[in-house]
Amino acid sequence: MAQMWITMGPQHPMTHGLWTLRVKVDGETVVDTEAELGYIHRGVEKICESRDFTQVTPYCDRLCYVSAMTWANSYIYAAEDLLEAEVPERAEYIRLISAELQRLASHLMWLGAFGPDIGNLTLMTWCMRDREMFLDLLQELGGSRMHYNYPRIGGVKRDIPIGFADRMIAKVKLFERRIDEYEMMLDESTIWLVRLQGVGYANAEEMVEAGVSGPNVRAAGVNYDVRWAHPYSVYDEVDWEPAVEKPTSVKGADCYDRYRVRMEEMRQSCRMVLDAIEKIPGGKNTNYANGDEMIFQKAPTRAPEGATGFSNYECTRGASQFYIQGGGEGRGKNPYRLSIRSPMFITIPFVAKTMIGYKVADIPAIMGSFDPCIGETDR
Amino acid sequence: MSNLGTTVTLSQNEEAANECLEAINSRFSGSGVVASVERHSNAKKYAFIRITTPPQHWQALAKWMRFDLGVNYCSMVTGTHFPEGPPERGWEVAYHFLRQPISNQLPDTHTVYVAEKLDGQLVPMEFEVLIPLENNDSPIVPTVQHIWGGADWNEKETWDLVGIKFEGHKNMHRVLNPHDSPEGFHPLQKQHKIRYHDHNEMYDDAQGFGRKPADEGRVK
Repeated sequence: MAQMWITMGPQHPMTHGLWTLRVKVDGETVVDTEAELGYIHRGVEKICESRDFTQVTPYCDRLCYVSAMTWANSYIYAAEDLLEAEVPERAEYIRLISAELQRLASHLMWLGAFGPDIGNLTLMTWCMRDREMFLDLLQELGGSRMHYNYPRIGGVKRDIPIGFADRMIAKVKLFERRIDEYEMMLDESTIWLVRLQGVGYANAEEMVEAGVSGPNVRAAGVNYDVRWAHPYSVYDEVDWEPAVEKPTSVKGADCYDRYRVRMEEMRQSCRMVLDAIEKIPGGKNTNYANGDEMIFQKAPTRAPEGATGFSNYECTRGASQFYIQGGGEGRGKNPYRLSIRSPMFITIPFVAKTMIGYKVADIPAIMGSFDPCIGETDR
Repeated sequence: MSNLGTTVTLSQNEEAANECLEAINSRFSGSGVVASVERHSNAKKYAFIRITTPPQHWQALAKWMRFDLGVNYCSMVTGTHFPEGPPERGWEVAYHFLRQPISNQLPDTHTVYVAEKLDGQLVPMEFEVLIPLENNDSPIVPTVQHIWGGADWNEKETWDLVGIKFEGHKNMHRVLNPHDSPEGFHPLQKQHKIRYHDHNEMYDDAQGFGRKPADEGRVK
C-alpha cells in the first residue's frame, strides 16, 4: 500500500499545546515520525540576560503554567548555588510543601487532560474539581492561582498563613480517598485498559539513553528520582519513597504503567506533605512576618565573573535543570548566560519515535501518557 | 512504614566523587584534561565532578566516561559566547551528565535500590564537562550524538541558539527558531541585543509601529 505523510498539529487535540507531529503511515500503521517544535519559543534565556536575579523568577513561573511552583523553585536553587545564599530550614519545608502541592495539581491536570484522549470525559470534570483544592492552597501562599512568584533567593516571599495547615491536612486526607475513587473508576473500565495496556512500550535503558527522566522512567521499574539521588530540600527528612512501577513486558513500560506510576506518585506527595507539615520548624500554626529570619535570609545580589550555579530538580515531568553563569550586565547583577534544561524538550522527540509500529489511533494515548507540556519545551 | 534516611547521603556522594576523580586522573593525566571535585553551595551542598578538556580529547574522554565510568545520561548542553574573552576562550560548551543506576527490568519485577547499599558505579553522580573554544567566528566542537542519544536534541538546540557547530552531528536542523531563519543568525550570541523601549515610547507608540530595532540592517 502507498505510504503517505500526515501532519498532526500544530492545532490538534493530541498535541496538548502547539507543535507538529508529522506521521508517515502505511494504511493505519505508523512507519515513521518527525517532531517539529518551536511554535511558542519566547526567548526566555535571552530575556533573562537583561534581568537581575530576582526578576528572573516570574519568567520561570511562566515556563510551565501547570507547574509554575516547581519551575520557580528549580531556578531558585541554581541562583542560590551561584550567589551562595543560606536558606532557613522553615523556608525549605515551605518550599517542599508548595512544590508537592504543585505536583498534585499538575498530575491532576495531566490526568484530566489524558482522560478525554482515551474517551473518558468524566475524568476531566473530576480532576478539575480536585485540582481546585490545591490551587486554593497555593493561592493562599502565592496570592495567585497560576503564576505565584513565591520562592525568593534565600527563602520564601511570605510565611504560611494561620489555619493553612489545618485546611491543607483536611484537603489532602480527602484527596487520598479520592485517589482510590479514581482507581476504582479507571482500573475497572474496559475502555481504559484496552486503550492503554500493551501500547507504547519503552524500556528503562533506552529511555535513559535518550534522555527521558522522571515518572516516565520510574514506570519502567527503577526507583531513580532526583529527590532521592541528590536530595536538595528537606527530602531526606520527611517520610516518603520514590514511586516505582513494575513494567508489564520485556519491552518495558506501557501507557498503563505510566498512568499507574503517576497515581502512586500522588500518594507519595500526599504522604510527604502530611509529614512535613507536622515537622516544620517554628510550628505549623505560627505566622512569621515577611522577611523574618525564620523564612528569609538576605542573599548577595551580584555574582562575580566565572562563578556558575547549577540545579538539578525533580520537576513534575522529570529532571529540570538550570545552569547560570555570573558576571553579566550591571557589574554582575544579571546572569551572563542562563540555560534551561526542559525534560519535555528531550522527551517529545523520543516519544515520536516510540510510536513507530503502532496504529494512528494509539498516538493520543502514547503521547498523552508521557505528559507533554509545550510551554517548557519551547521556552 | 517509615522510610526515613533512605536518600543517598553526602558521605556516599563524596566517596563516589573521589573514586571518579582518581579514575579520571589515572587515565587522562598529562593530556590537558583537568578534573576536580567541586561542591555546590545550595541546598545540601553535594559534590560533583568538574572536568575541563580541550576539544581534541573530547570524544575519547566521552567514550571512556560512557563505557568505563558508567555515565549513562546526558542531560544538558549549554553554549556560551564570550566576545571579549581571551583568545583561547571565546566560546564555551558545558555538558552536564548524570550517572543513574538504571537497568532494564523483567516483566512484573522492579529494582528498588536501597540508598545505603549502593556502592561503586551505582552511586548517582553528577558531571560537568567544560570545553573552551578559540575566540573566532566559527566555533567547532566534536559531537557526542552517537555516544549519548540524549545529546542529540540538546546539541541541535545549542547550534540553533548559540551557533556552535557540532562536527559529525547527523541531521542538524533548527529546532526552536523558525526553519527559514537566515543562515548565521543565532540569537544567543552577544552581538544581538534585546530590542528595548522606554516607558514614554510605550505610551506614545503602544503598537510599536514606529519603533526601529537596534540591530536593523545587521540581521536578515
